[in-house]
Amino acid sequence: MAADTAETTKRWGMVIDQNRCIGCWTCAFGCKQMNNEPLGFWWNRVLTAAPGETTGESNSALADPASDNIDVPHGTYPNVEMAYLPVACQHCTDAPCVKVCPVGATFRQADGTVLVDYERCIGCRYCMAACPYGIRVFNWGDAEQPVDFTVGYGKDYRVDGRLVFTPDRPRGVVEKCTLCVELIEEGSEPFCVEVCPVGARVFGDLADPNSEVAQLVDEAGATQLLPDLGTDPRIFYLPVDRERNV
Amino acid sequence: MATVETPAPRTAAYGRFGRGFLVVAGLLVLWGLSAWIYQLTQGLIATGMRDVVSWGLYIFTFAFLVGLSAGGLIVASAAEAFGVKSLKPLARFGVLTAAACVLVAAMIIIPDLGNAQRIWEIFRYPNWTSPLVWDILIILAYFVFAVVDLTVMSRRDIGRTTRAKWLRILAYVGLPMAVLLHSITAWIFGLQISRPWWNTALMAPLFVTSAILSGTALVALAALAAQRFDRLKVGEETWRALAVLMATTIAIDLFLVACDYITILWGNVPRERAALDHVLPGGSWQAVFWLEWIVGGLVPFVLLVTPSLRRRFWVFGLASALVLVGVYAFRIELVVGGLLTPLLHLPPGIALGEYRPGQSSFEVFGVYHPTWVEYAIVTGVLVFLSLLIVLGYRWLRIGRQDEELA
Repeated sequence: MAADTAETTKRWGMVIDQNRCIGCWTCAFGCKQMNNEPLGFWWNRVLTAAPGETTGESNSALADPASDNIDVPHGTYPNVEMAYLPVACQHCTDAPCVKVCPVGATFRQADGTVLVDYERCIGCRYCMAACPYGIRVFNWGDAEQPVDFTVGYGKDYRVDGRLVFTPDRPRGVVEKCTLCVELIEEGSEPFCVEVCPVGARVFGDLADPNSEVAQLVDEAGATQLLPDLGTDPRIFYLPVDRERNV
Repeated sequence: MATVETPAPRTAAYGRFGRGFLVVAGLLVLWGLSAWIYQLTQGLIATGMRDVVSWGLYIFTFAFLVGLSAGGLIVASAAEAFGVKSLKPLARFGVLTAAACVLVAAMIIIPDLGNAQRIWEIFRYPNWTSPLVWDILIILAYFVFAVVDLTVMSRRDIGRTTRAKWLRILAYVGLPMAVLLHSITAWIFGLQISRPWWNTALMAPLFVTSAILSGTALVALAALAAQRFDRLKVGEETWRALAVLMATTIAIDLFLVACDYITILWGNVPRERAALDHVLPGGSWQAVFWLEWIVGGLVPFVLLVTPSLRRRFWVFGLASALVLVGVYAFRIELVVGGLLTPLLHLPPGIALGEYRPGQSSFEVFGVYHPTWVEYAIVTGVLVFLSLLIVLGYRWLRIGRQDEELA
């Protein structure tokens, strides 16, 4: 990794525009395919929320669900409202999972991505208790796959010798969204960004003030999920704004 | 009064009851061991834990056992440091239970790990911001300390004044160590901003109090058994001291829990109410409320503060056992309460990490039913603890301590 010095000046981030999100779950399914996620594993989910529920300007992000099922609006007819909240790893700057991991298996790179070393993880699941966003998945048993061949990226991927992605999941380790580090290094975008049919996701370098993400964060009023916890995520949301012209 | 008596051989007969106990206990330990081997072949999928309630019976029991280890050492150290003479006869027995409990507490972590064979990495790559690393270090230090303390108390070649001097020094080290052990274990939970139910500064005081409470109850139970089935003699004054210690800590413990409830109820912040509502009467885990407050709280409190009741052997035993039930219920309430309601509980919820044909792979709120594997392993570990205490008691000839230490 000779190009590391240039890489470290990057600060990867993403903005998700809830005005655009149509709740189609393509990002979630795309993620599942690219990362060969076993059955019952979802690194990326699209939650059914209500407008304004994302950002913690009030506690409504923490309110009770309208239903156990997706696509059920909040409220009583005719006063109903609904918005979609896609949630995967928030790649926090001050990540609680990194702080609690007893062996440093979960670590944060200089570019802001939070990763898990599959060969270091002892499977204590402290990070799952510590994550405010509930995005981590544990390999309780042997991974079950819907097909008998590997889909997606399909190879091991290492960062500084540490195994941060493998299509064949070892038993007893925690896994989660990697922000598709293996694709970023090739110059591509995370797969959820690529497959979103409505362009609700924007990915880029927050350190570059001219990048689209940086401008959306600085000027369009992007907010973070559960900001009062001070985790300072690298994933931002543009909350639903009925007045805004999408 | 020193009686001239040849020390009984350490393998002295256990008697019919004792042999029966050893056989049954041995079988239960073997059953637990086989359950663990089965779990190793299947992975943790053999347990009832999944991605929402990701800690279960093993961690309840871990927190419980760490707490149990307090009592003995505090009984022994209080006898030395504060000159509580009435507790002195139980000092050696107390330290033995402390050593056994903390050893078994460390053991129960192992079946909870997804990759137990990598546990040594905690020493190779310690992450110092993790309370878990500190907890493992203090657990090991505490075990070593208890063994040293026990050695100083038991060796025959140490003179009377030297022993007294060393025991005093050890007592002053032991008390802060015990407080630290329980505080660090409490901070595993108490420091987590993602779990409003855990994230309270009360956590460490609560752990210290409930540790003294449950630890004292264990020492009392062990002493009762030794008095009944062996020749250990414990005076009325000592029973009184144990009863006072338990009754006082029940009151402090429930007071702290009540402070937490009232803060949450009055504030009525949804994310905090969500967890409390699960354990209050009417909630899905209300059993732990009744076990903690009535069965393991009010009932033993009344039994222990009423002298006419307390003086009866079985009443004292029942009260001590109920205290243990109450403290275990508190551990369940604590761990599960924090996990049942994730901060973001919007549909479809959190992915479970398991495919269940015909059922959702998600849970908005957590569900947890331990499996037979978890019950078997926890039973095996608890029975192993009782074996350690019984064997240690015999080996150290604690029943004869009066004669020896006089």
